[in-house]
Amino acid sequence: MYGDSGIKLVQHAKRTQNLAHLPPYQTELVRAVTREVRDLNKDVDDLLEPFQGSFDPSEDQAVAYTLLVNHISMRRNKRCLLAYHRTRTDKLEELVWNGADVVDLSGQQVRDGSSRNSTGLTSGDGSTSSLSPQEEDYVRQYGDLLAAYKGQWTDIDLTGSLEPPRDLFIDVRVLKDAGEIQTEYGAITLTKNSQFYVRQGDVERLIAQGYLQKLS
Amino acid sequence: MSYYDVDAILTDGEKVPCRFELDVPYLGHLDNSSGLKPGSRLALPLWLAEMFALASAGEDSKPPLTLTLPPCLSDHVQAALKADPRAVALRDQSAYFYGVAVRMLDLFDERELSAILRRTFVVRAADVGLHARKAEESGLGGQGEEFLRGLDEWERRLFRRGHEGVKGAKEWTDNVKRS
Repeated sequence: MYGDSGIKLVQHAKRTQNLAHLPPYQTELVRAVTREVRDLNKDVDDLLEPFQGSFDPSEDQAVAYTLLVNHISMRRNKRCLLAYHRTRTDKLEELVWNGADVVDLSGQQVRDGSSRNSTGLTSGDGSTSSLSPQEEDYVRQYGDLLAAYKGQWTDIDLTGSLEPPRDLFIDVRVLKDAGEIQTEYGAITLTKNSQFYVRQGDVERLIAQGYLQKLS
Repeated sequence: MSYYDVDAILTDGEKVPCRFELDVPYLGHLDNSSGLKPGSRLALPLWLAEMFALASAGEDSKPPLTLTLPPCLSDHVQAALKADPRAVALRDQSAYFYGVAVRMLDLFDERELSAILRRTFVVRAADVGLHARKAEESGLGGQGEEFLRGLDEWERRLFRRGHEGVKGAKEWTDNVKRS
């Protein structure tokens, strides 16, 4: 039945809406739907061929309705495809605003990949990505756009936390090596398992990205 | 209802029974036969059936198929809803019960059905709100749980909103007390 793969795709989108992360891109399904559209278009062309551009719907109703079914099915598939991709890009934009970048998202894909086939994938190469190559590009460019937008107001962090901090300075523990960062009080080298007393504003991003842990 | 609305698309995917009035040899794949004969019955998704029922090629020709009300809106279900709206598990009829019903009412002039549905929603919404308030305190149990399982997608959203609202208000009052 026409539109069945489209429905499956939209059901995926529905599930995606309620998830915190982004499930893998359904390359196969998307391909199936586009293939269906292409087949339908070919059918339409084949049906219209003998008429040589002089088709009168009221004379041959059977053909007219077949064309109608094909046309509506194509439109339906288009809607399913667009809705699926729109749901995902909305999610991606949300993730970018929350401070995720392409590297974070590919980190997620490595975990997904290794749990599925337990071969212990170490690098996030394209084949295990939960994003399609186009989506990765989208995230990168959207991130650039957001950075350019934020760059206009250097003294406000638009993606920062809306909660007012209780203390200006906090204790943090380093979970992952993050290299050297510059603060007002000089440079700090963040090496794993070390502990610092730093200004919250300087390290907020690193906490959000999981490099540091806040100690209460 | 937006073009990109996932729920609207899924509602459109629900099937309704139709009867073909025309001979269409090319569309046999719709019911796995060699061609559609006048009078063939088949279930088509709403997005296809609606356009089809409204389409007609010439001025005096009748539409190529006639729609009938889907089973989730049958007399049987209507009678049950008239008796007690709360006792019917709408979700078992259709996950998008109200969505389908609204679409059908666009096509049919069924005043009685519309009145039944309106009453159903009002009566059930009160219960949904009640459960949303109480879900936090008592946990789910017994009859309430069964009722909630029978909510259709629209009512579920209502429940979630109500629940979030109660939770949000509680968090806020707690915060006020603390500071």
